[in-house]
Amino acid sequence: MGLEPTRRARAGTRLVWALVAAGLIAAGCGGDDDSGSAGDTTGAESDISEQGDPVYGGSITVGLEAETDEWLPGNGSFANAGTSVAYAIYDPLMRRDADGEMQPYLAESIEPNDDLTEWTLTLRPGVQFHDGTPLNAEALKTVFDDYLKAPGTNTAGALTDVEMVIVDDLTVTYQLPNPNSAWPDQLGLAVGWPFSPTAAAAAGEDAGSQPVGTGPFVFDSWERDNRLVVKKNPDYWQEGLPYLDEIVFRPIPDEDTRISSLTTGDIDVLQTLRQSSGVRVRDLDGVDSYEQLGNTTGVNIFNTTKPPLDDVRVREALARAVDQEQIIEIQGGTGVVPPSTQIFNEDDPYWSEAVADAWPGYDADAAGELIDEYVNDPARSDGKAPGEPVTFRYDCPPDPSLVDMAQLYQSFWGQVGVEVELRQVEQATHISEAISGDYDAKCFRAGLDRDPYPTLNDAFTADSAINFTRFTDPAIDADLEALAASSDLEERQALVEEISLIVNENFPMTYHGSTLSVLGARDVVKNLDGWSFPDGAEGSGTPGATTMWGFVWTTE
Amino acid sequence: MRQALRRLPTMAATLLVVSFLTFLLTGLLPGDPAVQILGPEGANDPEAVAAVRADLRLDDPLPARYAGWLGDALTGDLGRSYRTGQPVAEAIGERLPVTVEVGTLAVVLALAVAIPLGTFSAFRAGGPADRVITGTSFGLLAVPNFMMAILLIWILAETLGWLPATGWVRLTDDPVGNLRTAIMPALALATGELAVYTRLLRADMITTLQQDSITMARAKGMPTARILFRHALRPSSFSLMTVVGLQVGAIIGGSVVIETLFALPGVGRLLVDSILQRDLIMVQGVALVIAISFVVINFVVDLLYTLLDPRIRHGRPATA
Repeated sequence: MGLEPTRRARAGTRLVWALVAAGLIAAGCGGDDDSGSAGDTTGAESDISEQGDPVYGGSITVGLEAETDEWLPGNGSFANAGTSVAYAIYDPLMRRDADGEMQPYLAESIEPNDDLTEWTLTLRPGVQFHDGTPLNAEALKTVFDDYLKAPGTNTAGALTDVEMVIVDDLTVTYQLPNPNSAWPDQLGLAVGWPFSPTAAAAAGEDAGSQPVGTGPFVFDSWERDNRLVVKKNPDYWQEGLPYLDEIVFRPIPDEDTRISSLTTGDIDVLQTLRQSSGVRVRDLDGVDSYEQLGNTTGVNIFNTTKPPLDDVRVREALARAVDQEQIIEIQGGTGVVPPSTQIFNEDDPYWSEAVADAWPGYDADAAGELIDEYVNDPARSDGKAPGEPVTFRYDCPPDPSLVDMAQLYQSFWGQVGVEVELRQVEQATHISEAISGDYDAKCFRAGLDRDPYPTLNDAFTADSAINFTRFTDPAIDADLEALAASSDLEERQALVEEISLIVNENFPMTYHGSTLSVLGARDVVKNLDGWSFPDGAEGSGTPGATTMWGFVWTTE
Repeated sequence: MRQALRRLPTMAATLLVVSFLTFLLTGLLPGDPAVQILGPEGANDPEAVAAVRADLRLDDPLPARYAGWLGDALTGDLGRSYRTGQPVAEAIGERLPVTVEVGTLAVVLALAVAIPLGTFSAFRAGGPADRVITGTSFGLLAVPNFMMAILLIWILAETLGWLPATGWVRLTDDPVGNLRTAIMPALALATGELAVYTRLLRADMITTLQQDSITMARAKGMPTARILFRHALRPSSFSLMTVVGLQVGAIIGGSVVIETLFALPGVGRLLVDSILQRDLIMVQGVALVIAISFVVINFVVDLLYTLLDPRIRHGRPATA
């Protein structure tokens, strides 16, 4: 693949992998089974009808929250909507199981060497792409070298200095520049969605609109912004799957009309990552609600290199001045979304009670004192005269619920003497400014359904292009290095806890609630969360409102 | 025909100016347009910046760049989206029929309702029917089209179940299905328009009905319907024609919202998505097509005057 400007311009889209603008993307992990967090006052509460026995045949229509720019892994920006479609056409080499561990899915096995710098992956025998091209080591290497690592692709950055070596017809080794215990995590994302190199080469520049994978469904047609149709793959490598004959994916960006379309039967399944929409779906008659709490939390990010937010006293005051429960309430999340004290949610193995305890609660008096201390400091970082008020700009995308939230933040901060200018800014600009550091404070989301190493490495290291807060710490660097080199869960949990404590002591971000992802389905559509691995292990349900479509059936 | 030929140079000059202003969309960006297109993250890659600069001929002088861009545009090459990789002309070609169909249906529906209502309202000026029509028109004018869209979805889709709430079926795939998906967005766009048309036609018709020729027709015992629709409607339609042409802009503006609400794959939604995703080449192409459409439609409206009023055809003033 050449160095086309078209491909190069997409460099920016890879940045949505780890830390994503509010309302744009979220993902879930560590959710539970049908019962959700039963007994909790807040959290995911799936409400699912009797599933019955699988039925073959039928067609369903799925309403997605957005269109995807194109479908070739490495080039397409696979947010939740795109990932959902991708799981129909492609199979991931690895996926997360019900316990949050990465397990082989399309791959048969994966093994690291002793120092975690080489990962040897073995493919299943007899698997073919939809065009008949065999899935073997050579196909995997062609995709890796010619497409995924091509300059300007979304995936090139994650694969810098990574080499793939063919061992035999079905085995390859990923050679990494440094130890990385989280490498299998990468193979659950677009890097690990093999596509036919033969079909991609034949399609040339149009490969992104004619995806050919190994998945349970074969791409049939795509009218951008209207519908993408996939048909049953009769030669699917998993015996007995898929159940459905056809799936029609329709992007319906407006939340209200997407819900209306479900109630009128225009669509059979919808996805949403809005708390208020999730609550509405719960109340719909004849609709099953599959909820999962994301390993993602709403945050405010502060530019720690720019006065006055370069002073930790100001950042701590902004954290203490806000009642998080009220922020959640104004977003419609009361009773649904629990407050956050860290990136990881309470079901996640990396959530830490010590970190939760260390996070300061709502204390306007303490916040006021910290602001007074800064305001009266002759050496205050913003260069203003003592007594002058603290001022900064707070940016959010122009979503109604985010506008309400921004106004509430402005009110909380105003009560402790901070003057905040609110600004609405479109998503693309919002992200660009966060990357370039041209901002004071912004509403964002932090975290993803991933191993903590890439998430924290992206968020808090000097080399990361998406360290939006610019916060770094030598102790965090050391912990991250140890995290990458360890595969021991307890050791890793301790390292993540140390990092989270350092982050929370320095307040580069504040939190406003986990993210709830919801798949709402007419009760004739079954088994959205019942997928499993080829060896029978239970899958991770519907993280980020995505599912494995091969396991879904309809009784209609 | 002669009138049309006489106006052609004016239209060509207008189109040239429009195309130049659209072309300047990239040139007016602060700093290096290539950096703006790539965003700060992509702009760190000098090779990528150089590739975009070469692609957009940014190192050429402005007139040469414009000439090259215009030449490409005239041959249907509006470039390729940096976001999706799709040729801009192809993307617009896929979506234009949706917007044109919904927009045309909206205008036809609005006129179909506004002409009888406006005429009747003028005929019964000051009466109870006139007051009801006038009040309703004002009410409809005050309702934004997105609110009308939500109301229509609630009534026609959710409550009555007559029409699908969202989606688009192509005319070539299923004409009936196509009409079912087009009618509600068209109605949402038409309500505001029909209120404007009704008010305008009523005002002009009242003036026309006071002219001597109408009094003469009445004196000769001509049926009322014949007087209204054969003799009064045509001279009362000039303002209406002008506004229908000018309101194309409002229809296009409305389609931006309506297409998003009804999940229609039209030009309005393409424009919004392209702006949000900083896809400037696509924005440039869509803006050019919209601007050209606006100019051409108003040119056609100008020509229609000559059909409606022989005085214009013969070069005499239209005013009585």
